[in-house]
Parts: sequence; structure tokens; C-alpha cells
Amino acid sequence: MPDELPLVTLDKVSKQFGDVHALDGVTARIDRHTSTALIGGNGAGKTTLLRILAGVYRPSEGSATFADGDLTLHRRRIGVMTESTGLHLRLTAWENIRFHARLFGIDDGLARSRSESLALRLGLGAALDRRTEGFSRGMRQKTALIRSLVHEPELLLLDEPTAGLDITSARAVRALIESLVEEGRGVVWSTHDLTAATVCDRAMVMHNGQLVADGQVGALLVEHDAQDLEALYLRLTKEATREFKAGMEALS
Amino acid sequence: MSSMKRITTIAQRELVDFARDWRTILTMVLVPLLLFPLLFIGLPLVIGGEAQELAATEVKVLVRGDDVPSDFLGLLENRTVDVIPGPAVSNHTVDDQAVRNGSLHMVVQWNLSGEIHEVHLRHLSTSSLSADARQRVLLSLSEWESIEREHRVTEAGLNASETLDPVRIDPASEDLASEGEVQGWLLSSFIPLILTMWVVTSAIQPSIDMTAGERERGSLEALLCAPARRWELLAGKWAAVSAIVLIGVLLQLGGLMFALTFLAGPSLLSTPDVGVLALVLLTVAVFAFSVMVVASELALAIRSKSVKEAGALLAPASLAVIVPAVLVQVINLDGVEAFWFAVPVVNVLLAMRELLLNQVDPLHTLIWLSTTTTYTALALWYAQRQFNREDLVLSPS
Repeated sequence: MPDELPLVTLDKVSKQFGDVHALDGVTARIDRHTSTALIGGNGAGKTTLLRILAGVYRPSEGSATFADGDLTLHRRRIGVMTESTGLHLRLTAWENIRFHARLFGIDDGLARSRSESLALRLGLGAALDRRTEGFSRGMRQKTALIRSLVHEPELLLLDEPTAGLDITSARAVRALIESLVEEGRGVVWSTHDLTAATVCDRAMVMHNGQLVADGQVGALLVEHDAQDLEALYLRLTKEATREFKAGMEALS
Repeated sequence: MSSMKRITTIAQRELVDFARDWRTILTMVLVPLLLFPLLFIGLPLVIGGEAQELAATEVKVLVRGDDVPSDFLGLLENRTVDVIPGPAVSNHTVDDQAVRNGSLHMVVQWNLSGEIHEVHLRHLSTSSLSADARQRVLLSLSEWESIEREHRVTEAGLNASETLDPVRIDPASEDLASEGEVQGWLLSSFIPLILTMWVVTSAIQPSIDMTAGERERGSLEALLCAPARRWELLAGKWAAVSAIVLIGVLLQLGGLMFALTFLAGPSLLSTPDVGVLALVLLTVAVFAFSVMVVASELALAIRSKSVKEAGALLAPASLAVIVPAVLVQVINLDGVEAFWFAVPVVNVLLAMRELLLNQVDPLHTLIWLSTTTTYTALALWYAQRQFNREDLVLSPS
């Protein structure tokens, strides 16, 4: 159940890169005990939003605050798994994890025990001391996930965490995320996979840099008379496109 | 966690990552370590072998003319020359063709005009054998001329030795510079240049790999999400590249000293005579130069959006360091103007030359130390600006 005080508050957040409006007036909240699916097509603004939540980008307009302050000041409380995994391939999985753990000020012994425990849950145990250059995409995803969790963040930002994973591994990742949410963490999960998104408590649907829907998955389906998330997404993005065109025509 | 610890963690990770590549070990460790020993062993062997082979090869020389002294021909034959006598001709077309196709290596046209021997030589400078044949002919001519000169002077009733050699240089004349100082002077003529080439080229690859490379591989974004300030990330990378470059420089200098001490013959270089203060300042100069170049290359590499772009930028940019380094070699150190010690790159390299001569000038030292520190700070400030850019992580979606 979400606490009264949101973990992160986004207030009319916009982000511009030159003439490109990557995000346009996004207002939302990320709660503890909640997994949020961030849904949208290519160029919808998902990654930009994740980077703002991670403190890599600052909003051009609006504000993004972490419970009681600026997001960029709270990096220690955030875990990020980027889409490209960002592993150093000449290092072992453990060395990759240890490097980040050290930057977060985590003792090597503690980081090792946490890593072993997480690796066991994700089926990566034996590979922890192998160089990641020989890893499959799935193994790299799991290593990056462990790296993002080793400092036990309050907010976990995941960009396509199950892409490239086999069915068993994807289930293990989803189970791990569910248990993290139960522990009280907030999880934001950016994905194209609407089936995977179904397991999330909430959905945020992005389209052309705008947040076109945000709420409990069940409530959104009822509100928009949609059978599933795919139907909901198609309906919302069509509506948004139609509204956008109408707005443009009115302007001209 | 302190900033220093974070910087050390980043530098350590970069170094381990870099050292895991065997090509790195080859280019960054073995090449600098073995460069000078191989040069000191291999180069004399190759040059000596080639010279011996050339000297043992008989060259064919056509000597045309009716008045060619027989003792000159004898001198030629003593130098492994196959002398082919021939009559004087006015048209050289056939002879030239023979020299060009290699059936002859040289043609000598001899003509006696009164008391003067007129000698006309035809050779092919692009052929090693023809060039060597010319050298043997010139040596034989010089030897014969000397004999002929002495003969004529004696015939005229003069003392040949006093007449032809009126100035005698005292064999006890001495160079006031010690052997060690001479070695320092010789080293100062090429060490700064070699050092520049090494520092500039060896910093390019790690600078690109740790910035544009990380950006391309996606690992930079993960790093930017960590609770480290951007200047700490930059400082860690700067420390790592500087360490790589300095290790290479130390290995190269170590290899050079080993070669000078154990491999160089007595006629070659030996250990220079450099005092403790000069040695300390020399170390500081090498360090300052390396970190300045690394800071500049990192700044340019960070600016680049891809490894390809960084490579295209850094390769020509390295000329901005190499060209001044060449200029340094021709600057006269006697009475050198102080402003040279403020010119970027030139300043610290000129200081190295001075220090290798065991000359410690307080004003020069103050200028090159302060200006190099300023240039390094400026390069780092620029790199920091680039590293703070949000579009360091691209592809908004």
C-alpha cells in the first residue's frame, strides 16, 4: 500500500533538447510499496523520464523531488538498470557489482553476500566470478539488475529488465521485483512488453512526451473500457494523436 | 565516502579494465620497455651487417681515358673495385644506360690537361651500389691526390709536411665539458621529442576508451547514476590515463637507461651527468607535461559523440603538441629568451633540455612550472565543462 508521502513527486516536468520536446508537463507521483509500469512507444519520453528520475538529467521546467529534496542529491537511494546494461565487459560480474557498490560506500563483504544471494535467486550464482564479455544478454541483464540492487535502494528504475530473458529468468526477475515492492520499495519499470507490465500495480502511459494516463492498472482498464493494457495503450495513443492534430489545426 | 576514495575507486577500475586487454600490455608495457634496448642492439647489428655486406661486394667501374695513372687504378682495386679500362669518349649514352641497368656501377672519365687531371664522374645516386662505388672512387682519388701533391712539393724542393700542413692542432686540446655533460647534451637533443611522441600517442587510446568509448558502450550512463560527482568521475579517469602514460614513460626511460648502461658501446651514449635537483625537476617536468597532455586529450575526447569522432579529432590535434616539440629541438639554449618558458608545450620540453644539461635556472623553473600548472588547470576546467554537459548521455526517447 502506498504511504501518504510519495517517494518521488514530478510537478509539470518538461525536458527540451534544443528544439525537441522530449517531455511535456509530466505530473505524477512514485510511491513506496508500488510497482509502476512506464509504457510508451519509441520516442514517447520513457527513457528521458527515467533519466530525470535517476538524476542524470535536470528538468528544463517543473520539478522532480525525492521525498524531501532534489532528486540529484538522493542518488544513494536510487538504483538504476539501464537498457544497455552498461557493464564493463573485461571485468567479472562481481567486479562490476563491487565497483558500483564501492561508489555507494558499501563494504566489499556486505556487497558480496548481497550479490551472492541475489545471484542465487536469479540463477546467476556460478557465473558471478566470470568475465561478462562471455555472457548472454540475459546474464548481462541479471548482472546489471544485481548491480542496481546491491546498495538496497528505496527506488528502483528499470529500463526493459526482462528484454532478452528466457521465460524462467523473466519469471525470476518479476518475482524478485514483486518481493522488492513487498519490502516497501518503489519500482518504475519501463517496458514495451505489455504482458510484463500487467503484473505492475500502476501504469503510466507516455505518448509524444506527455503522460496520457496514470493510475491503477485495473482502474485504467475500467475507465477506458479496455480489455487489456494493449487495447488501453492503442486507445489512449489514438486519442492523444487525435487531440494533438486537432490542437495543431486550431492553432493554424 | 570521501571524494579521494571515489576517485581512487574509479581510477582503479579503469586501470584493471584497461590492463585486462593483452594488446594494451603489448603496446603500453612491452613496446616502451623494449624500444631502446632493441634499438641499441638491433640497429647497430643491422647497420653494421649492411655496411659489411656492401663493403664486401665488388663494384664495376669503367675508367675512360688515355692518361689514367696506373697507381690510381691500383688504389681502386684495393677497394674491391673491378676496374674496366676504356678509351675516352664524348658521348655517354651507352655508359649511362649501363649504369642505369646495373651492368656497370660507375663511369670515370679521366683527362690530363697540362698539369691538371680533370676527372668527370657519372653515377646513379638512387642505387646503393652505385653510390658506394662513387664513395670508393672519391676515397681513392683523395688518396692519390695526396700522394701526387706531396710528390710535386718535394720535386719543387720544399718540405712537404711543413708546406702542406702549416697548422698543427695540439692533440692535448680538451673539451671542458665532462663526459657526463656531453651525454646529457646528446640526450637533450632527442629525449624531449621521443617523450612527446610517446605521451601524445599513448594517451589517445585510453582517453577515447574511457570517455567516448564508455559513452558508446552505454557504461557511462550507469556510471552517471552512481553517487559520484562529475568532477570525481573525471578526476578518476584523468588519474587512470595519466598513470598509464606515466608508467609507459617510466618504462621507456628505464629501457633507455638500461640500454645506455649495459648495451651501448663506448663510442655511443652513456649515463648523463645530472644533479639531484635537476633530476627532481626533470621528474616534475615529465609528470607535468604528461598530465597536461592527458587533460587536453581527455577534454577533446569527452567532447566527441563517438569513438570514431574522437579519433578523428585527437589524431590531428596531436600535431599541436608534436610540432612545438620539433621546434624545441632547434631553439638555442645559450642565452635563451625567458618567454619561451611560457609557451605551451615548448615551455616544459625546453625545461627538460635545460635540466638534462644540469642547468637549473630559478626564473625559467618558476615560469615553466607556473604556466604548465595553469595550462593543465585550463584543460581540466574545459574537460569538466564538457563532462557536465547533459547530452553526455544521448538518445532521448
